[in-house]
Amino acid sequence: MSLLAETVTVLLNGLQQGAIYVLVAIGLSIILGTLKFVNFAHGALYLIGTYAGLLITLEITLTDGKLADWGYTTLGLGWGFLPALLIVPVLVFVVGLAMERFVARPFYDRPDTDQILLTFGLAIVVQEVFKILFGGQSYNFARPGWASGQVGLPIVGTFPEWRLYIIGITAAVVVLVYGLIEYTDFGLVVRAGTRDAEMVELLGIKLSRPYLMVFGVGAALAGVAGVVGGPLYAVNPNIGTEVLVPSFLVVVIGGVGSISGAVLGGILIGETLAIMVAIAPQWSQVGIYVLAAVVLLARPQGLLGAEEVTP
Amino acid sequence: MARREKADVSRRDVVKMAGATGLAGLGVAGSASAQENPPIGNFPIQGNPTFGFTVPQSGPYSSEGQDELRAYRLAVEHLNNGGGWVDNWSDLTGNGVLGNQVEFVSGDTATDADTARQTARRMIQRDGAIMLSGGSSSAVAIAIQELCQREKVNYMCCLTHSNDTTGKSCVRYSFREMFNAYMSAQALVPPVTDEYGGSNNFYQLYADYTWGQTVQSSMSQFFGEAGWNEMNSVATPLGTKDFSSYLSQVPRGETDVLFLNHYGLDGANSLSQAKEMGLDEDMEIIVPLYNRPMAQAAGGSIEGVFGTVAWDSQIDNEPSNQFTSAFQEKYERIPSGPAQLAYAQTLQYAAAVERAGTFYPPEVIRQLEDHEYDNIGMGQETMRACDHQAQRAVPVVKGLPEGEQQQGQFFEIVNLTSRDTLGYACDEGPAGECELGPYE
Repeated sequence: MSLLAETVTVLLNGLQQGAIYVLVAIGLSIILGTLKFVNFAHGALYLIGTYAGLLITLEITLTDGKLADWGYTTLGLGWGFLPALLIVPVLVFVVGLAMERFVARPFYDRPDTDQILLTFGLAIVVQEVFKILFGGQSYNFARPGWASGQVGLPIVGTFPEWRLYIIGITAAVVVLVYGLIEYTDFGLVVRAGTRDAEMVELLGIKLSRPYLMVFGVGAALAGVAGVVGGPLYAVNPNIGTEVLVPSFLVVVIGGVGSISGAVLGGILIGETLAIMVAIAPQWSQVGIYVLAAVVLLARPQGLLGAEEVTP
Repeated sequence: MARREKADVSRRDVVKMAGATGLAGLGVAGSASAQENPPIGNFPIQGNPTFGFTVPQSGPYSSEGQDELRAYRLAVEHLNNGGGWVDNWSDLTGNGVLGNQVEFVSGDTATDADTARQTARRMIQRDGAIMLSGGSSSAVAIAIQELCQREKVNYMCCLTHSNDTTGKSCVRYSFREMFNAYMSAQALVPPVTDEYGGSNNFYQLYADYTWGQTVQSSMSQFFGEAGWNEMNSVATPLGTKDFSSYLSQVPRGETDVLFLNHYGLDGANSLSQAKEMGLDEDMEIIVPLYNRPMAQAAGGSIEGVFGTVAWDSQIDNEPSNQFTSAFQEKYERIPSGPAQLAYAQTLQYAAAVERAGTFYPPEVIRQLEDHEYDNIGMGQETMRACDHQAQRAVPVVKGLPEGEQQQGQFFEIVNLTSRDTLGYACDEGPAGECELGPYE
C-alpha cells in the first residue's frame, strides 16, 4: 500500500471511530452545557439504544440470563435495520424525558458530586439489570444486509460499507441538531438559557420545558449512536461504560455545550486513536489522554468552549 | 478471647500428652498424622472444605466466566450428592470429599490480574478456601498461582493457555489441564499446511500480555519451521474494541494468512471486523484459540476459520457425552470448553484429596503429580510432575457457516490431535524454564 493510501485509510478509520463518540458526546455536552447536569448515565442510554436496536433489527437466541430462564429463548422482532433507526431514537427520547423528570430535575441545584454519584449509580443499575435479563453473553449485531460489504474508494481501495454509512448518518444527525439549536426558537431559548438561565426566566420564559426537551434530544442521540455503533462490536452489558469515558474526553476537548466542539473533539479523538495505532499501537490509549491534557492546559474551556459566564 | 486461647492450649497439651505416652491406639494414630501433616496454608480445614472459584464476570472474557461458574456449581453439587462423572470415578464417593460436604465461594476477577489477586486473597484469608480454581486470562491465572504458592493453597487452573503458566511462571501448587500455545501451534501446523500449502506469508495481531505474546511466539516458531514466512506481528492492548485501524495495516496483496491471537470478546470483535473489511477475501484467517461463547458473538464470521478449542461437546466418547448430558439436564444448554475444564479440574482436585486421604496440600500435590487418567473425555492423559502440565490431546476445529450453526454447535472437529504427536520433554520448550518451587 502506498503511503498516501495508508494515510487516507488511517484518517478515514479515525473519522469513523470518532463519529460514534460525536453522537454520544453531543448529547452529553448539551445536557451539561444547558442544564449543568453531569450525566454519567449517558452511556446507559447508549446501552439501551443498542439492545433496543438489536431486538428490533434481528431475532436473537438467548442462552443466558433471566429472560432465557423464564422461557423467552428467542427474542426480537426481526424487522431489519431501518425501522430500528427510526424507532430507537423515539424510544430513548422517552426514556430521556423520564430520566430528566424523575432523576435529573431534583438534582439540578445539588453539587456536581451528588449528580455524579446519582448518575453513576444509575448507570450501574441499568447495566446490571441488562446483565440479569440478558446474561453476560455477547450478541452478534449483524450489519444491515444492504451495507455489509465493502465499497471501492479512490486512493483507499476497499472500505467497509457500514463504516461509511456511520460517517454519513452522523453527519446528517449533526446537521439536524445544529439546525435545531441554531435556527429555531427552541434553540434560541436553550442557548440563552445556557448563557444566563436567570435572565431568561426573568423574561417570562419557563425553562423547564426546554430543559426537558434538551435532555430528551440528548438521550435520543445516544440512542442513535447505540443503533449505529451496535453492528461494529459484539453487544454486551458493558458497552455503555466503555463508550462513556472517551465521550467525556470529547466533551472536555471540544468544550462543554458546543456542538461544533463535540464534532471537533470526536474527530480529534478518533484520529488520534487511529494514527497512534498506525505508529505506536501500545500508546494509542495513552494518546487520547495526552491529547486531552494538552488541550486542557492550553485552553481550559475546551477548543470551542465559551469562557465561563460568571454570574 | 482469653477463654478460647486457654482451650487451645489445653487441647494441644492433650494431643502432646497422648503422643508422648502413646496411651490409646486411636490417640497414637491421631498424633502421628498430626506430626506428619503440620498446619500449612488453610490446612487443617475448619468445618467443611471451601473451594474458591475465581471467574471473570466482567471484562472481555466475561462470557467464558459465566459458563465456568455454572460448571463449578455443577461439580460441587455432584461431589456432594453424586451424579455426572462422580458416579464413574473410583476415587470419588458422591458424599462430599473425605466425607465432608463441599462449600464454595465465587468472585469476579474482572479479567484483570490485580482484581483477581484481591479476590483470591479474600477467599484464602477470609473464607479459608482450601483450593482455588478459575480462569480465563493467563495473566490472571499466573497472578493467582503465585499467590497460591506463597499462601500454600492448591490452585487448579481452568482456562489459561499461555506457555508461561507451566513454563517460566510455573509453581508447585498449581496444575493445568488446559494445553498451551506451544501445543496449539504444534496441533495447527499439519491440518493448516495441508489446506493452505507449505510456504505462505503470514501476519499476526496479538493481545499484548503473557497469553498473546506466547501464542505469537509459538505460531512464529512452528509455522516458521514449517516453511512459512512471518511478515509482521503487531501487539494490540487487551480489551480493544475496534480493531479496524490494526486490520487496515495488514498488507492485503502480500499476506496469505492472518493470525488473530485474540480471545473472548476481543476475538469475536477482531474476527468479525476482519471479515467486515473483506480481509477474508484476500487471505485466510486463523484464530489459534477459540471457544463457543466467542463463536456465538462472532456469528457467521467464523466460517472456515481454523483454531483449537479446549474441548467441544461434539467430541464423541463416554465421559464427554456424560458431561454434556449432566450439564444440559441442569442448565438446558450445551456446555462450552471452559465449562468442561472447570468441572474436570474441580473433580481432579477432589479425587486427589480422596487418594491422599487428607487435604494436606503437599500430599494432594504428590497425588496429582504424574497422575495417569482417562476419564475426562480427552483420552489417556498424564499430569506431568516436572511442570504440572497435562499431556493431552488437542482438538483442532474449523468454524461452520452461519446457516449450519446450531445452538451450542459452531465448529466441525477437524482433528483430535493425539498427545503422542504434541508436547515437549521436561528439559525443552516452556518446561525447560520451569522451576516448581517447594512443597512446603
